[in-house]
Amino acid sequence: MDEYLNKGIKEIIAAFPAVEDVLNDYDIGCGPCTVGICLLKDIVAIHRLPEDQEKQLMARIAKAIHPDQDIQIPKIKKSAEAKSLEFKYSPPMKKLVDEHVLIKRWIALIPEVVKNIDVESEKGRRLILDGIDMIRSYADKYHHAKEEEILFKYFDENADILKVMHEDHAHGRKLVKEMLAAIDKRDRKTVAENLMAYRELLTEHIRKEDEILYPWMDNQLSTHQVGELFAKFDEVDRQIDVSPKKYNDFIDQLEKKFEKQEN
Amino acid sequence: MENFTGCPGSRMMNFQKADEDHSGLTQEKIKSQLTQWPIQMHLISPTAPYYQGADVLLTADCVAYALGDFHREYLKDKSIAIACPKLDPDQDIYLEKIKAWIDDAKINTLTVLIMQVPCCTGLLNLAQQAAEGATRKVPIKYVVVGVQGEILQEEWVAA
Repeated sequence: MDEYLNKGIKEIIAAFPAVEDVLNDYDIGCGPCTVGICLLKDIVAIHRLPEDQEKQLMARIAKAIHPDQDIQIPKIKKSAEAKSLEFKYSPPMKKLVDEHVLIKRWIALIPEVVKNIDVESEKGRRLILDGIDMIRSYADKYHHAKEEEILFKYFDENADILKVMHEDHAHGRKLVKEMLAAIDKRDRKTVAENLMAYRELLTEHIRKEDEILYPWMDNQLSTHQVGELFAKFDEVDRQIDVSPKKYNDFIDQLEKKFEKQEN
Repeated sequence: MENFTGCPGSRMMNFQKADEDHSGLTQEKIKSQLTQWPIQMHLISPTAPYYQGADVLLTADCVAYALGDFHREYLKDKSIAIACPKLDPDQDIYLEKIKAWIDDAKINTLTVLIMQVPCCTGLLNLAQQAAEGATRKVPIKYVVVGVQGEILQEEWVAA
């Protein structure tokens, strides 16, 4: 079994499809992941299952890989099943989770923006450009920069999970670049498609960070490192020329606008 | 003991077990991780060099006696002050000293270690009150130690 711990999960699922179903039973959704380079050992560690659940998961994976072997599947104790999955973040991680809230409010509005998309009028283009400005300035420059330039440096940047996060950020930047070119060409279809693709990308990206990556990172960080991160994030907030209030106001207005249209 | 109705912090308890197994105790001498003096909250200067930019422990007096591995697990690489929220007089001075740690000594983090007894929560409240009055913000963690040395809770407080 040890040899599989250091193998990429996609490679394992390709060879032993039953492993995907086993992972699904523990809400570990590696199946639809388009990258899938995470190692099995990292996936198990990152999801922080209660000890007896983790033992059961590993036994079931071992059984899926070696169905002919006599592998005992341990039972889960009732108390462990009832264990709360609520995680209390350290203050710097909480800050990143809180920054996600505004981004989530924006991506929740994207279907309405797409429904009303207008690339012909100045006013219509302005709305999309303001949304793109929110993505570039708030989501990317203000938030992702804290992750890429500060947080991720505390970890092995060659770790597969961080490669996946970097790839998500790069994919988001590519979608934005294509959107800007499409606005210039008055290409309504590409703008709409890329906005929806961005929405899908960020929804899954934020879920991965809030539920898996940040709690895992928090468990690795020392008290000293938490203090350092907190100070560094605070420094970024004081130095950066991005106003969270401006984007909060933009989202407030947009929410009101679509609320009015619904009524 | 079951009919005890007084202060839970003063309730008499005996944990000694007749045939206790001591094989888990290390034979080697544990090196002290204390790197400063004084440590009592009334005696310390909050701007002493060892508090500058430090990770600081604010520890209830009883904690170090209850927590078997206090030096290695908690004191290592930290600066410390001790206090008793139940018995110490003039705790408004403590409030000012904690504020000075945050604003003047620019400490990196503050970890408050308290016992599980109800009166000990006062030390955490004091730290939070001081932090709210400070200009800078620092991450504050609290650790609740059981009377037999077990860690009952270890969490960050929202900054």
